[in-house]
Amino acid sequence: MTALKIALITGIALAPLGAQELKLPASLDRLAAKASEVVDVTMDANLLQLASRFLSDKNKDDAQVKKVVGGLKGIYVKSFEFEKAGEYQESDIEPLRTQLHAPAWSRIVGVRSRKSGDNSEVYVKTEGGKIGGLAILVTEPKELTIVSIEGSIDPDQLKELGGHFGIPKIEQDSQPKNGKSGKDE
Amino acid sequence: MKAALVVAAGWMLSCAVVQGGERGFDDIVRAISDQLHTRPIHIPFFGLVNLATFAVQPAGVKHIDLAVFENLDVDEHTARGIAETMRDTDAGWKPFVQVRSWKHGDEQTVIVYMAADRSDCKLLVMTLEPHEATVVEVRLNPEALQAWLNHPEETASKGGFSR
Repeated sequence: MTALKIALITGIALAPLGAQELKLPASLDRLAAKASEVVDVTMDANLLQLASRFLSDKNKDDAQVKKVVGGLKGIYVKSFEFEKAGEYQESDIEPLRTQLHAPAWSRIVGVRSRKSGDNSEVYVKTEGGKIGGLAILVTEPKELTIVSIEGSIDPDQLKELGGHFGIPKIEQDSQPKNGKSGKDE
Repeated sequence: MKAALVVAAGWMLSCAVVQGGERGFDDIVRAISDQLHTRPIHIPFFGLVNLATFAVQPAGVKHIDLAVFENLDVDEHTARGIAETMRDTDAGWKPFVQVRSWKHGDEQTVIVYMAADRSDCKLLVMTLEPHEATVVEVRLNPEALQAWLNHPEETASKGGFSR
């Protein structure tokens, strides 16, 4: 009976943590069937440690990335490329957006281009006043990329990770200016 | 006579160790062979490649294993079956990159696995195409690869030796 109580209390205590983890919706699996290319990068903490051995301490850029990777629990990237525009709908990524809501998640960058139809968003997850994860959502007419970074990371360090581990390169001018969290082009 | 016996015993022991180390790849090839109902093609003199690799260790690579399957009829179901087989073959392998492409009309699947092997790393790259499948396993030293990537001209001037 005591064991049952402990299990119950632990379950209740851990439930909010579980709810904060970004879950990729099943609708994305359906998108895979329509996509002309699907890229899936899955790196848990062990694989990240293993992969970071390929980064040199002597090379300045590598050393920076290695430092950032040290605080991470996982990097997950899912990218879909389609033959033509309109193959995926906003409703396909709606379950993902639903998870990226306050109080756990807040959007820190939003760049929307009316000209090209590109839309980039960066969300941070806060746990006890500290950043516990990042999510990047990039939607283009013929491409969809979702990046989930679990662990302690400073948004400024994101650009260090760009171009590594399947994470798209982060452009400097995509950063918000004067505290603005969104930008329309 | 005693010296000859010691050498022979040492040789047999080292062969057993090498065979034990390579059994993982053989198991993978056997499992894939069962899935595809065929055997990999024979690559003549591939042993020499490994001998050279062992001696030179280009870019930190210590050992290479390669298996090529031809004249296949790989569909999506078979590709998924092979990926699942890999999961059961060796718990040490973890897929970290998976690319599935339907470009140019044909489906192509590339899965990259990584595993730790004492101070080294093992990478296994599996490419599945409708009529061909290739499995490459490379055992390499990350630090030596780093040195080669950071100073390729210096490594090249040493004749490609990275150790």
